Amino acid sequence: MKFTFRRKRIAGILTVVPANERLFVDDMKNFNFPEARSLKLKQVMGFDKHRVVTPGVCVSDLAVAGLEHLFKNGLLDRDGFDALILVTQTPDHIMPPTSNIIQGRLNLKHDMLCLDINQGCAGFLIGLFEAFMLLKQESIRRVVLINADVLSRKTSPQDRNSFPLVGDAASITVVERDPEDSVIHASLKMDGTRNEALMIPAGGMRLPSSPETAVLEDVGDGNRRAKDHLRMDGSAVFNFVQMEVPELIQDLLATVGVPLEKVDYILSHQANRFMLEKLADKLKLPREKMPNNIVEHFGNSSGVTVPLVIAFNLAEHFRKNRSQVVLANYGVGLTWSAMLLQLGGLKFCEMIEYP
Amino acid sequence: MEEFLKKMAAVLEVEAVQETDVLKSFAAWDSLSVLSTIAMIDVSYGVNLHASEVQAATTIGCLWRTVEAKKRM
Repeated sequence: MKFTFRRKRIAGILTVVPANERLFVDDMKNFNFPEARSLKLKQVMGFDKHRVVTPGVCVSDLAVAGLEHLFKNGLLDRDGFDALILVTQTPDHIMPPTSNIIQGRLNLKHDMLCLDINQGCAGFLIGLFEAFMLLKQESIRRVVLINADVLSRKTSPQDRNSFPLVGDAASITVVERDPEDSVIHASLKMDGTRNEALMIPAGGMRLPSSPETAVLEDVGDGNRRAKDHLRMDGSAVFNFVQMEVPELIQDLLATVGVPLEKVDYILSHQANRFMLEKLADKLKLPREKMPNNIVEHFGNSSGVTVPLVIAFNLAEHFRKNRSQVVLANYGVGLTWSAMLLQLGGLKFCEMIEYP
Repeated sequence: MEEFLKKMAAVLEVEAVQETDVLKSFAAWDSLSVLSTIAMIDVSYGVNLHASEVQAATTIGCLWRTVEAKKRM
């Protein structure tokens, strides 16, 4: 399905990454796998370093640190926004919404819509859709969109399918009305029949967490994980991305009448280097137009990777210039989405560390 | 077929492979090489195989016939 949003823009992007860094060569010691094959995995997937929280750190901790940074540096007025959207799959609690916890910890005003959205790797665009729609209300001048996850806490260190890949992070994106007559085009598809490709089986009402769901089980290929852990069918996800995402982007560009050559960057979800290279090749896009270095430096932080790829590689560019870009993200649900917009002239675009 | 054998040898990190070679007999045949195989077949032959289809093939020749069958579809 297609969406159009008029007179909306991204005003600023801040990303927060944990200062705590893990090395893949240390992760390897937990795998029951020949060292040579682990090194091959490192080379192909681009595993090297990833940022993970220290024990006990929650999504609201990263989000509060980021917002305090913006307030303290005069980049965002603490009374300057009227909605706070948090996209996460690792909330502080099942209830209340973590967005309310953030509002409370920062003593924000009561005239404020707080909303948690359960979305994963496609969560940046899903969050932007919500933010743009909320801006149709006169009472909402500006929306703070927070993407944050601490998935390392839900991943088995003995599962080489997931653990070396996962990173924790948060991003804060300020979304507001555009004084210029701009148009943003987007496309979204979902397929709930494939919902088991990426899941955490236990911990909800269908299978509550118990001592049994915490037991590490041999799941083949020398990997061990519990039902409380993230489970990813890596090859099914790879197939999904190769089959669906290039077509989605091509269809969006064709509908709007913008040739691929007129797109300066495709800023994609950072699944892993391998998948991104194949995606660029399939689109016949020069690989440098689709930066793919987030997994090797920070790990895959789900809905935060699109803001991270922007803030890590192109911060100065997007503070000073405007470019026509495609944002693309895809993952749990299954969900896949792309957005064509003019990005740039950002008030802020930077990264900070927590703590 | 010649070209496919060369590409499979690269994926399996050996000098050369034969049509009758059993995939599971290679030290490098694991989930990562299955993924590399899927990507190679997609790029070279425009066929998108699922991991289960790749793993169902016993020999390299079997895998090639799966690719051929899909190409005609």
